[in-house]
Amino acid sequence: MENTFKADQLPRDSDNSISLTLIKAALDSSVSGIIITDNQLPDNPIIYCNSSFEKMTGYKRNDIIGHNCRFLQADDRQQPERDKIREAVKKGQNISVEIRNYRKDGELFWNELYVSPIKSPDGNITHFVGVQHDVTRRKKAEEDLKHEKQLREQKITERTNELNASREYLESIVQTVRESLLVLDPGLKVISANQHFLNTFKVSLSETEDKSLYDLGNGQWNIPKLKELLEKILPTNNPVLDFEVEHNFPHIGRKLMLLNAHRIELEGEYKDRILLAIEDITERRAIEQRKDDFLSVASHELKTPLTTIKGYIQIMERLLPPESSEKLKDIIKKTARHADKLNNLIQELLEVSRIQTGNITLVKEQFDLDEMVTEMVDSLQAASSNHRIHLSGRTGIKYRGDESQLSQVVSNLLSNAIKYSPDSTDIDVHLAVVGDYVKLSVKDYGLGISPADQKKIFERFYRSSETQKHFPGMGIGLYICEQIIKNHGGSLWVDSEYGKGSTFNFTLPLN
Amino acid sequence: MKRKILICDDDEGILEMLEMVLDAEDYDVTTEQNSLKMFDRMAQVQPDMLILDLWMPVLSGDQITAKVRSTPAYQHLPILIISASRDGAEIAKNAGASAYLAKPFDIGDFMDAVEKLDTQSAA
Repeated sequence: MENTFKADQLPRDSDNSISLTLIKAALDSSVSGIIITDNQLPDNPIIYCNSSFEKMTGYKRNDIIGHNCRFLQADDRQQPERDKIREAVKKGQNISVEIRNYRKDGELFWNELYVSPIKSPDGNITHFVGVQHDVTRRKKAEEDLKHEKQLREQKITERTNELNASREYLESIVQTVRESLLVLDPGLKVISANQHFLNTFKVSLSETEDKSLYDLGNGQWNIPKLKELLEKILPTNNPVLDFEVEHNFPHIGRKLMLLNAHRIELEGEYKDRILLAIEDITERRAIEQRKDDFLSVASHELKTPLTTIKGYIQIMERLLPPESSEKLKDIIKKTARHADKLNNLIQELLEVSRIQTGNITLVKEQFDLDEMVTEMVDSLQAASSNHRIHLSGRTGIKYRGDESQLSQVVSNLLSNAIKYSPDSTDIDVHLAVVGDYVKLSVKDYGLGISPADQKKIFERFYRSSETQKHFPGMGIGLYICEQIIKNHGGSLWVDSEYGKGSTFNFTLPLN
Repeated sequence: MKRKILICDDDEGILEMLEMVLDAEDYDVTTEQNSLKMFDRMAQVQPDMLILDLWMPVLSGDQITAKVRSTPAYQHLPILIISASRDGAEIAKNAGASAYLAKPFDIGDFMDAVEKLDTQSAA
């Protein structure tokens, strides 16, 4: 509404006060909703409202003049602010509250309400003036903030509970595990040690916690190489794996310990910690050594009579008159073959034991790789008339490695190809130089290997149940092959499709 | 004149078998199962060649070899060591053996080794 009066032309009433029209116009131009109630009438009804009030509430003047203000709260009567207003009205005091009100269409709005009494000269309260602002937006922002805060607090509480729970959880694991565990801070100071650690090293908690790892015992962990590895864990997240420490420890004497250390990955309180696990493998190593010794002796003892058997078979072959029956000749030939097989089995057993204990040594010499493979192909071809072995490609390389071990691998892959493709005839052997590696592939068109078995065939003593039924063997050939290739820094793998055949490949680094 | 070979192995089976092989090739073979008696045997037989097992009770093949080699008269005596031990080749070489064969071996390879040593010492 536009006020068009000029100051000196202000409409005035007869008593020279500003005209009521002007005052009404002023009230209507206010952004605040204003109502006046008459306290002298029963139930304190509204006798005036301005246009802002109409806009704010959606009610028209006609709807509300004569009503008590309470309709603004609709059914939401249980607000404590209502009591405050009632109290103030009763006492004739000013009051300011924020109260939930409802528009005519039922929509909630927050009303910042200021109520002040108007008194007659004799002190009676004749009217109340209510000034209102719609503070819904501000209120909503405040409420949201409060809610957010509550939610956050709730989350923090939950997280704290969780952390406490996981702390207890971890603690119980750490204490239960039958392995010595230390939790270290980034400076490699011991934050905690489990009971097993204390028992193993016969030390007390006070000798351990809050001490630098390097100061424990008689400085047993103060090893430059270990230090370097441990200090790299946090920045690089590279764990320390199977680090062996043989040391004369205080209280417990000379022991062989196996160390593994990882960065702890939990968020929050637990990051930047290192979990160090220490295992006493003295006994285990001794048992392995005894087993290795036993297998050495056993294989030696088994080979002795085998030498005699083999010798006699060959003498028999020589002594056999040329006119002897084919059947007898065949029997002697078969006996010879099985004696060789027995020898191979004994050999394999011994080698598995050696590989496991890491006792196998490579005798590296330069040799002609192509020639070695050709020889193996020729000798296997001679032994199997049912298959045709095709050799293609060449490396032209004098390879530096253990020729006898590598030829064992080639021989083993070829024998497997023959053994596991009884119903097909072709076997393809391919040699190539691939980048910095030489690569050999042996492809057969036989039984193939199921995806599940492909993962396991390189395990020691693994025999697929299918294979077990039809093909004899101990299941150590591929294990040995893989170890030999690994010892040369190469890798051995299989590509196979069940029912269609397998390709075994290995690569060897040229340098 | 027949060439004399003295064989020492604690396994009777191998001794018998090798004796049969070498007999057939016209060698004069003496066998000894007890390594401790070897030096008496050598004095008695005056062999042209020794064939020794490695792992034997009391005296091992490499010990015998080392002792034989320290005797001036036997410095060049051909000694063939046969063993089923994996490290046999190295031990035999270090002890001063002339040749080595891993058990079990082919009779053909065995005879080749014996004849080669025999020719070398005769030459």
